[in-house]
Amino acid sequence: MTALKLTQGVLAHGVIAGAEWVSVPRERIRETLTELKSQGYESYVFMTCVDHLATPTVEKPPERLELVYQLRNMKTHRELRVRVFVPEDDPRAPSAHDIYAPANWDERETWDMFGIRFEGHPDLSRILMPDDWVGHPLRRDFPVGGEPVDFSEDHEVWRTAPPEA
Amino acid sequence: MPDTMPEQTLAPGVTITRERELGGDILTVNFGPQHPSTHGVLRLIVDLDGEVIRRVKPVIGYLHTGIEKQMEALRWQQGVVVTDRHDYLSPPINNLAYALAVEQLMGVEAPARAQGLRVIMSELTRIASHLIWLGSTGIELGAMGIFMYCLRDREKILDLNEEISGFRMHTSYIRPGGVTADATPRFLEMLDAFVKEMPGNIQEYENLLTRNPIWIERTQAIGYLSAEDAIRLGATGPMIRGSGVPWDLRKDRPYCGFETYDWEVAVEDAGDCYARYLVRIKEMRESVKILRQALDRLPGGPVNVDDRKILPPPREELDTSMEALIHHFKLFTEGYSPPAGDVYVAVESGRGENGCYIVSDGTHKPRRVKFRAASFVNLQAVEHMALGHMVADMIAIIGTADTVLGDADR
Repeated sequence: MTALKLTQGVLAHGVIAGAEWVSVPRERIRETLTELKSQGYESYVFMTCVDHLATPTVEKPPERLELVYQLRNMKTHRELRVRVFVPEDDPRAPSAHDIYAPANWDERETWDMFGIRFEGHPDLSRILMPDDWVGHPLRRDFPVGGEPVDFSEDHEVWRTAPPEA
Repeated sequence: MPDTMPEQTLAPGVTITRERELGGDILTVNFGPQHPSTHGVLRLIVDLDGEVIRRVKPVIGYLHTGIEKQMEALRWQQGVVVTDRHDYLSPPINNLAYALAVEQLMGVEAPARAQGLRVIMSELTRIASHLIWLGSTGIELGAMGIFMYCLRDREKILDLNEEISGFRMHTSYIRPGGVTADATPRFLEMLDAFVKEMPGNIQEYENLLTRNPIWIERTQAIGYLSAEDAIRLGATGPMIRGSGVPWDLRKDRPYCGFETYDWEVAVEDAGDCYARYLVRIKEMRESVKILRQALDRLPGGPVNVDDRKILPPPREELDTSMEALIHHFKLFTEGYSPPAGDVYVAVESGRGENGCYIVSDGTHKPRRVKFRAASFVNLQAVEHMALGHMVADMIAIIGTADTVLGDADR
């Protein structure tokens, strides 16, 4: 692993389907991203979250929620995935919006969809769902379907639909 | 008459403060979400000092359809149909990102003819997407005629889609393991005719716009984005190439054999709206070049991997082979299960980096599918490009950013 010269704090690293990844503790996200950026990973591809609730895999992930940062070095064309595990009962992570500018909206989306609170984010509000939405839809325990359809002919019917709908 | 008029609340979060209008205070106006020039349903909260833009806050989510959640409820091969629908101007390219990701996770590679057909479909889609962009941005900036020419030629691409896949827009043509159907001889004929006439048509668009004084006035030196800012803000596609960065995933992280074709990356240094227009025009020309080569050297052979665990057996085998019947039954009741793991594959769409990040937990349905949408990221750069410009230039800036809101909201 020649691309990776992180000084400290790497919990694990490896290669999956041809892609390199490292795993770092939650409190070291900002230091890791800053260090990687200065090592040439100046391009931020995306950040998202994976919910490992009740995963059937043999090797269990250490925590339920996993943040994934995909970074790219535009000179060597290498990519690196940074994994950070976030416990379910304390869904917080430091914000990286001032290290990588596009992280701003990705963090809002992750808050909206998974309910992870990014500390230090300038405007952590819902981005895709309505402002008054309850719950975080991309969590695995959020049910699919049964949404009342506003402004449809069935609007009144839906409003009186049974609670399990 | 009171000195200050009361604040008028229009919608939650939007107020128009009309206090001391002549004194030049900041005026907050709401732009969209149903404005005809927002390419979908985009709302912008714009602070104006006179006519000069001081702040732009995009509000998105009006086209959110929960595509990533839907993908988790579908089997791996069913998900292809949903990928068509997020960036609705380039369905085959979305299919391609998903198909390549699933293939990479399972360690299979589509055969050579499928790769050629994928290149053809992805370049046709790129031209179609740029044509819609050119036509609609032309209308927004006052060039009415160009729309008719663009839609005339896009119609031919839709006919080609229909000929090869049966659908005009949401083709679901590219799937993990190959493509749904082989190209018909009629498709190849139609494609040949299209490739022959397209350079002349592109010249026609250029005659209408490239030296049109009104077009130049409205786009040149508008919405400047420097190369450093383009990289810092994560812009991709024509946005970053219009700023002089020759970054194109087809060259820099090649897939489907794009590295074997002879073509150039379209780059312009100016970084303004006009440069982004020139990049897209040049990209259409390069796509035609790729189409010509792909058509001339389209290899023979199968268009699907010969793996009964991923794709169903041919119909005639079902009558004679018990094993084929079992495979067919397993595939359509349970589907296939890629090994546990995650993979990210990015392809170049008309708008930029269109990526697909998939996580498998070893079951027949995805654990997580994330689409890295180019529009979502490029939209964040709009404020930086618009600051200090007149409010009328906002139209040119959103236009040449070429955001598709279905893509941004997913």
